[in-house]
Amino acid sequence: MKTIGTANARTPIKLGLLLLLCPILLWLFLLVILPQLTMLNISLQERVAPRIYEYGFSNFIAFFTEPLYWNTFLRTAIMSIIATILTLIIAFPISYYIAKMLRGRAKGLLFVLCLIPFWVSELVRTYGWMILLRESGVISTFLQYIGLVDGPIEFLYTDATIMLGLVYSSMLFMVVPLTSTLDSLDDSYIEAGYDLGGNGFSVFWHIVVPHAKPAIVSGCIVVFMLTLGNYLTPILLGGKSSLWFTEQIFTQFITRFNWQQGSAFGVLLLSISSLIVWLGLKLSRQSFSKVMS
Amino acid sequence: MLNHMEFDLQCTDIVRKFDDFTAVDHVSFAIKKGSFFSILGPSGCGKTTLLRMLAGFDNPTSGEIIIKGKSMNGVAPNKRPVNMVFQHLALFPNMNVSENIAYGLHRQGINKVEIKHRVEQVLARVNLAGSGNKQITQLSGGQKQRIAIARCLVLNPDVLLLDEPLGALDLKLREHMKVELKQLQQEFETTFVYITHDQSEALVMSDQVAVMNHGQFQQVGDPQQLYYQPDNAFVAGFVGDSNKWSASVIDILPDSLKVKTTTGLILSVSKVDNKSLIIGSEVDIFIRPEAVHISQQVTANLQDNHLNIKINNILFDGANSQLLVEEQNSGEEIKVKLPQTAEFMHLQKGDKLQISFPFQQVKTFPKELEVS
Amino acid sequence: MNISRCRSLIAVGFTLCITAQSVNAETLRLLTWGGYAPKIVVDMFKAETGIDVEVTKSNNEDMIAKLSATRGGGFDLVQPSQDRIASAHAEFNIYKPIDMSQIDNKLFVASMLDATLKSSMYEGKSYGVPHIWGTSGLIVNSEQAANVKDYTDLCNDTYRGKVTYRLKRPTLIAFAFSMGLDPFAAYDDPAEYEKIMLQVQDKLISCKANVKAYWSGGDAMKNLMRSNETVAAMAWDAGGWQLNDDNKAISFVAPTSGALGWIDAFAIPRKSKNESAAYKWINFVMQPKVAAMITDSAGNFTASKGADDFVNASLRAKYKASFDTAAIDNIKWYPPVPAGLEMIEGKVLDRIKAAK
Ligand SMILES: Nc1ncnc2c1ncn2[C@@H]1O[C@H](COP(=O)(O)OP(=O)(O)O)[C@@H](O)[C@H]1O
Ligand SMILES: [Mg+2]
Repeated sequence: MKTIGTANARTPIKLGLLLLLCPILLWLFLLVILPQLTMLNISLQERVAPRIYEYGFSNFIAFFTEPLYWNTFLRTAIMSIIATILTLIIAFPISYYIAKMLRGRAKGLLFVLCLIPFWVSELVRTYGWMILLRESGVISTFLQYIGLVDGPIEFLYTDATIMLGLVYSSMLFMVVPLTSTLDSLDDSYIEAGYDLGGNGFSVFWHIVVPHAKPAIVSGCIVVFMLTLGNYLTPILLGGKSSLWFTEQIFTQFITRFNWQQGSAFGVLLLSISSLIVWLGLKLSRQSFSKVMS
Repeated sequence: MLNHMEFDLQCTDIVRKFDDFTAVDHVSFAIKKGSFFSILGPSGCGKTTLLRMLAGFDNPTSGEIIIKGKSMNGVAPNKRPVNMVFQHLALFPNMNVSENIAYGLHRQGINKVEIKHRVEQVLARVNLAGSGNKQITQLSGGQKQRIAIARCLVLNPDVLLLDEPLGALDLKLREHMKVELKQLQQEFETTFVYITHDQSEALVMSDQVAVMNHGQFQQVGDPQQLYYQPDNAFVAGFVGDSNKWSASVIDILPDSLKVKTTTGLILSVSKVDNKSLIIGSEVDIFIRPEAVHISQQVTANLQDNHLNIKINNILFDGANSQLLVEEQNSGEEIKVKLPQTAEFMHLQKGDKLQISFPFQQVKTFPKELEVS
Repeated sequence: MNISRCRSLIAVGFTLCITAQSVNAETLRLLTWGGYAPKIVVDMFKAETGIDVEVTKSNNEDMIAKLSATRGGGFDLVQPSQDRIASAHAEFNIYKPIDMSQIDNKLFVASMLDATLKSSMYEGKSYGVPHIWGTSGLIVNSEQAANVKDYTDLCNDTYRGKVTYRLKRPTLIAFAFSMGLDPFAAYDDPAEYEKIMLQVQDKLISCKANVKAYWSGGDAMKNLMRSNETVAAMAWDAGGWQLNDDNKAISFVAPTSGALGWIDAFAIPRKSKNESAAYKWINFVMQPKVAAMITDSAGNFTASKGADDFVNASLRAKYKASFDTAAIDNIKWYPPVPAGLEMIEGKVLDRIKAAK
């Protein structure tokens, strides 16, 4: 896709600007770059004997040679991608409905309704799902009460439950950018699409989607990253087979006291997820700066 | 029915209600094949609502729309043989010029080679050959206009609907585009339905103009008819520039009426057709500034209205210059066209003159309640 | 943003360092288990010595993680299990030796004190003294799972989806004993130990269908048992006795292969800022009457000599019901964990978790 180059002559960076940027740069360095570097440093140390460490790549090699770690990562990434796609599929009609079908108060109301679950913490939200879905929970009891099933049913601790939780907790981050972008799409474009002979699908595909593309891609990036880095939802809803990569990292740090391995996983998670996002941007032919603006 | 063949578009008794507000109120009309039909009316009078019903984005509460002899009731916008040029054009920003034009052709399933050919052809006809690869943002206002029209015309619609497409352009360009639109319409021989609140656009371009107010058609006719023979006070006031006064009838003569305005000015005015006025009836009277004759010498003609006036202001606007004058007895203010001839070059504020106009030039309409 | 989890872990480390500097000298920062420092005892201690006790609740792994992050700082007194002191110290250098001259050893049950001093030995010095002991075994709902007598019975097909246990090292060791193996004997032979662990791994993977959820906090386990979502669990004795208060059918059962005995100890972090307060606290809580109050709160008995007489009768009765003399003799006490074994166990636990 070609865009016209804005012939914005680059002015030399002035000292004043540099001073203004100082706090931000410092903040970036102290809170973003420094911890990552520390982590990289730790991840490169391998234990040879108690209290003795040497530099080496064994922690990274362990990731690639132990299928367990690999598979956990793969599973996490695939589940995250599926969750992202599902979130998009569910959020799009909702956003479209809010942005294009509703008017006035109903619009604001429904939008706020979508936000309300996010006023409570993720932990509370997840426990909410557990109360609903557990064997002795609300849904199971209700189904027995109305006589649909004979015995209690366990809805928790399956991949589907994890997916439900992930999609639910990601919804906001897809609905908000999509709604505001779709809201900015003038109705006349859609009408022009129909007027020129388009049907529902071609208007959606050739007019609505291209317009919403930056929001779709940015929503997907945010949801994917959040899902990949989610800890509580897969652990609490997934139970005995949750198997999430961040849980692996947590385990390495906290229950195995293996900071070296944990850091290596952290570095790998960051790099591989960045790679996946980069691939996604390439595939959708979007630039990161455009998507995030 | 034979008469269906010569009309591209016929509407019978169209009504559109929003809750208890009637936006379009019993409108009927028929548009001849290949003609340029304008709907002229002030903002909010229901023009867009009517046009959207023609395009199929909205449905009449009652009434029927017939295009090329086929009823359009329940026919979706993408199935109607009409296309619309939107108020803000709605060119798709994510597509370049050719893609915009090709969009509709693709929807018809035409093959790529044919599409390419037809896009080039239509670009040439709107004088934009070779601009196919330009982005929409790279086009000037007038070019966008032409692309928007080309995007519709490439589909050979029976009727092209245009919703104030010149509204966003600056004055110079608007003047230019008026001419160009008219030429395009004649070249393509497509029926245009053009809506506007700008009377000059409607008068310059149209074969037929419908003047609309409060959801109703006030008068349908060619531009000259509307200008010289307005059917009612609204049309007389809305089309062209006029002096308008409220007055009451004080005498009824065989050819004319004598009326007295609220400020006490007494004038001879034309008689109203088929309307029984009695002495004391309230009327609105209209006189166009160009119908008023200015003279520096006193000439006597008892049939005409002769007024002694003083110049209050000179509004210089080249060929459209006007004088604002004040009648000496009543103080009534009158707009008068100032011909740019040597005779009147030296006129100044405060000068005293005589003006005169024949009673036939003063249009009279019975007073209507609440005319905008 | 995906990595924020790890970053916050590092940030927690930093904060711990920072808060360590700003603590008032007359506070005792105690890192311990829930129930081990009840408010009433903290208040009594404050009244007697003027020292505030700042209690942070934790567990074995968390204690080691916290101390290793700060290299032995942030707390003045901690309470890891006695078997995990020497190995953690060998690995991370986080404790300082116990100064026995500051401890009133007459307050302790002698055998337990000796055992703990010995098990927490590193390079000839002792790093821990005992405080509270208890066992892990089975909590069984006798109405629905009367046949659960040993850990391996949890894997019985009848209890599909109806049992719960932790996914931690005690579970591995318990199942090993229950399968007729002796993991403690293999502690010093990593190869042999790994073989045992691999057998346990297979057993626990095949048992996975029976597990409703791997519990991680005592409250989660109690919830599962109370709501009848599970009918048997591997858990601590005190948890079983507490459940018994609500539902008489549920109680702690010492497994036939033997309950696993643990002793939670006191250890002084290497960078402790208030050692004298730490010793004062140890001597204070080991007084029989105070120790009995802690037993009431924690549900487990202490290493304080003569304290049992002050413990309420119902708890003593439950204890008696769960442990006859044979069962007490059959308790398998954890020997100190040699450094490195936890690596083997970690991999095994990961594989069990990952199995379908
Ligand atoms: N969807 C609608 N709901 C309610 N009222 C409407 C709607 N669309 C238009 N109107 C009203 O109908 C009247 C005519 O509007 P419109 O056709 O847009 O006028 P115009 O195009 O002549 O300026 C206006 O008063 C407008 O408020
Ligand atoms: Mg309009």
